[in-house]
Amino acid sequence: MKPAKFEYKDPHSVEETLDLLKQYGWDAKILAGGQSLVPMLNFRLASPEILVDINRLQDLDYVEEKDGKLAIGALTRQTTLEFSETVKSRCGLLADATELIGHPQTRNRGTVGGSIVHADPTAELTAIARALDAEMVIRSKDGERTDSAEDFFVSVMTTNLEPEEMLVEVRFPIAPPGSGWAFEEFVLRHGDFAVVGVTAAVTLNSDEVCTDARLAAIGVDETAFRDPALEEIIKGEKITDSVLKELGSQLSEKVEPFDDLHASAAQRKHLVGVLAQRALQKAANMAVENLRGEN
Amino acid sequence: MSKTKIVGQSVHRKDAARKVTGRILHVGNIEMPGLLQVAVLRSPYPHARIIGIQKSRAEAMEGVVLVLTGAEIAAMPDVDPYFGPAFKDQPILAIDRVLHVGDPVVAVVAVDRRRAEDALELIEVDYEPLPVVLDVLEAAKSGSPLVHQEFKPAGVFADLDHMEAGEKSNVCYHFKLRTGDVEAAFREADRIFEDTFTSPPAQHMPMEPHVTLVYLDEDEKVNVWTATQSPSFVRTQLSTTLGLPMNRIRVRVPYLGGGYGAKLYGKLEPLVALLALETRRPVRYALSREEEFQTITKHGAVARLKTAVKDGVITGRRCEVFFDTGAYADIGPRIVHKSGYTSAGPYRIPNVRIDSFCVYTNKPPAGAFRGFGVPQVIWAYESQMDIISRELDIDPVQFRMHHALEEGEPFATGTPVHSFGLKESLEQAAEAIEWSGPRPQNNATKVRGKGIASGVKAVLTPSISGAVVMMNSDGSVNVLSSTVEMGQGSDTVLAQIAAEELGVCFDQVHLVQPDTDVTPYDTITAGSRSTYHMGNAVRMASMKIKAQLFGVAARALEANLEDLVARDGRIFVSGSQESGMSMRDVFLAKFGSLGTTIIGEAIFEPRAIPTDPETGRSEKCTEYWFPSASAAEVEVDLETGQVKVVKFLSVGDTGTAINPRHCHQQLLGAAITQLGMTLFEEMVFEEGQLLNGSLLDYQIPSVKDLPEHFESILVEVPHETGPFGAKGVGETGTLTVSPAIANAIEDATGVRIRDLPITPEKILRGLAEKDPKPGRAEVPQ
Repeated sequence: MKPAKFEYKDPHSVEETLDLLKQYGWDAKILAGGQSLVPMLNFRLASPEILVDINRLQDLDYVEEKDGKLAIGALTRQTTLEFSETVKSRCGLLADATELIGHPQTRNRGTVGGSIVHADPTAELTAIARALDAEMVIRSKDGERTDSAEDFFVSVMTTNLEPEEMLVEVRFPIAPPGSGWAFEEFVLRHGDFAVVGVTAAVTLNSDEVCTDARLAAIGVDETAFRDPALEEIIKGEKITDSVLKELGSQLSEKVEPFDDLHASAAQRKHLVGVLAQRALQKAANMAVENLRGEN
Repeated sequence: MSKTKIVGQSVHRKDAARKVTGRILHVGNIEMPGLLQVAVLRSPYPHARIIGIQKSRAEAMEGVVLVLTGAEIAAMPDVDPYFGPAFKDQPILAIDRVLHVGDPVVAVVAVDRRRAEDALELIEVDYEPLPVVLDVLEAAKSGSPLVHQEFKPAGVFADLDHMEAGEKSNVCYHFKLRTGDVEAAFREADRIFEDTFTSPPAQHMPMEPHVTLVYLDEDEKVNVWTATQSPSFVRTQLSTTLGLPMNRIRVRVPYLGGGYGAKLYGKLEPLVALLALETRRPVRYALSREEEFQTITKHGAVARLKTAVKDGVITGRRCEVFFDTGAYADIGPRIVHKSGYTSAGPYRIPNVRIDSFCVYTNKPPAGAFRGFGVPQVIWAYESQMDIISRELDIDPVQFRMHHALEEGEPFATGTPVHSFGLKESLEQAAEAIEWSGPRPQNNATKVRGKGIASGVKAVLTPSISGAVVMMNSDGSVNVLSSTVEMGQGSDTVLAQIAAEELGVCFDQVHLVQPDTDVTPYDTITAGSRSTYHMGNAVRMASMKIKAQLFGVAARALEANLEDLVARDGRIFVSGSQESGMSMRDVFLAKFGSLGTTIIGEAIFEPRAIPTDPETGRSEKCTEYWFPSASAAEVEVDLETGQVKVVKFLSVGDTGTAINPRHCHQQLLGAAITQLGMTLFEEMVFEEGQLLNGSLLDYQIPSVKDLPEHFESILVEVPHETGPFGAKGVGETGTLTVSPAIANAIEDATGVRIRDLPITPEKILRGLAEKDPKPGRAEVPQ
């Protein structure tokens, strides 16, 4: 199908974009990489009056280390995460997990900000943002605010952004020494939306005892699922099969997923436990290797 | 047979360079002044009566040229509002009732596609919902809501002439086969095996969706450019629909972006022709991918098998197969007949009873799909062959080899089989997968297993291919054929056959694309028939040219006809190529002038003896058989249920391969299609609504989902009446993929899956039922 009629705006600056958002409010929709929005327009699932194309805002396409964080501009293409040396060395999880996002062709267009704001319940970037406590930098005509990933994601394809607001930057913490990470995903075919995915990041001390653990899952809730109580199970412990098993089964019990075409709720509950154990084990193995490399 | 020069060579495709550089013509790319576009309003109900349609707001919209309803078509003089290849059961647009979600109801013609789609939103249709029947087994029962009230045979195909209206039911065709005494076999059996296997409705998914363009030329002739696999049939259909003589309709087909059976018989053509006649302007209708899902599907099927075994040998088999043909029969009855008689397998079974049913439901229509219903029945009998052999503790390959039919033995229909490389295919498949080798290694969470399957399909018989071959005085050749080049390589293979027979270079042969004003009748481009049927027609027509050339050359060279040879563009006495004549010299000798042509024409029409309506028996039910075997090695993740096909071999008896590379590509391409059907693809319905009607949710394999080790093997058992010994190969690779994978999965895990597709969830459920261990994560239900 073809999109319904819309008016096209292509602002040349963030300020101009914010003016348009202020002026048109709910009637406007931002077009970034277009990997989700354009199909929705074609199916007429979205019919905004005004399409605000921000692809001219090249100053929102950057990766830099700033105040001890990795700052990523909203218009940064997903491909950049995969190949940027800065991303690889500062937040390896982002670099490693990016290959799970769609296909090379979609990553060349798809943006970091677009994926986060779209808030698909199976988007890998939402899980990483939740697990690592990423910060969202949001601007409007009234100024700038910073929000936690926890508050930012509200429900399926819904964030707490107001219509006149725009996400301009996402800040990820820099991986500490002795850390390891993994993103395990269950897909039927290469490049599909995840049925279920789990990301894990752990930090071990020199005795290989876990000092920090983070775990977030997609495909089991309306937004990326994270429960700090589960992470407590392995903090202060050596990562053993029995600890992982305990965590996996608690996670399976806690989540309340939904049935859809691709998997039943029961299947999702089962998978999230299996994938959590696999992700944590991989993350722990990597952390041990990193520790040995660092010493 | 003397050694061939071009036949048997893997020459490059004629269309390759043009395709990869984007210079090939497709219907969607044709530009024409004043071309109008179409959008169609479709039914939201699986079954409903149309109470009223309000279309005036759409008609008033700027840019809208015509808004047409089915009732208006039904009122047109001389127009037959119904069409279809087996029954005239499908209205061009719904007249009084809609029979499935997506049934076309109102057509809008506008200056562009977006405006046509906008106008759809201004049309209001009042419906009264009617009782719905969706399950094929429910629909087959008497007393179910009727999808159609009457049967009107279309009378197009001789082999369907015996179809007649029975009592009122949704079963629109019932094929019966009775051989021996199957009840006695069950009484005397040591063991009886009963299993039910299902295949869901699925999509053909050609890259190019259906598209048709119609315009009236200066002579008011109806000119049709359409993406069809059956141009000759489309002309006949339009002649009936429009009440026009056949020579007032011209159907042309450029290159297709894939067909796989989706583009057979009439599809969009009756509607678009009417729209062009009504508007007097060129009109194109191109389906969206979402409309494809509502237009034509692969038959879902339920197959029940009951098999008697005595002393380790199969003595009897009863097959009941229910094909869900959806709301319109399309070619369903012919599929039920052709696949029906193969349902017991290519095995020596003395007592067979087959009942195969074509059943209407309120789903989108099902039609031909690469394999023509046979993959659905092979899924059943080859899964059960493994179930039986495992239960009897007999090696599954040996069990098949023991029962496999050999040259000259009768098939279940009574037809003796010839050129039947079944055992050879099985042996090659077993060897390639190292069947007798050591078991593959397992690790803690991932287990491996191997599986094998074999099967056979018969070519559609009778059918007809006509060809005209024209040789020009420079030795170049035009071949006029209605075979559609849809990616299968027919242009290349037919050129190889003509070049071989005429003794000219491959590059000198040009295939004229199907054009019913120019190219003769051909039944269809489908069913693995073109290489054999059109190949024979082209070869026979070429022989007629050669006879004329040799007549002239024999006089000029003072040689005997039987000593002459045509090769490399020259005609000479065998053994003395230098002293012969060029084609140019032969033409000069014959006509005394250049620029002249010699024409040969031929019609190839192999006959069949119709199967007996009560017993299904025939001394010749088909012209030839094409056996297939597949071998798979899989790895199953016991914790997630995920299946990875690590190794796959597609083996087929192709007869003599005219172009071996093409044959390999056909075997692999077909296997990829069926890999999707095995692991991913299913049209999921809820109360008649399709839940996954787009490529976002309906999953087909991509190149990254293919087995790491993926190969094909040609078994070349020459066919005595094939062109240079060739048979068809288009469907062979689809036949045995699914059971080979399911058999490998059982080998790896002990879990038997009977319902396609084989999803991780079904495997996990099977593992849990087999081994309900505490501690294993909970069982998905």
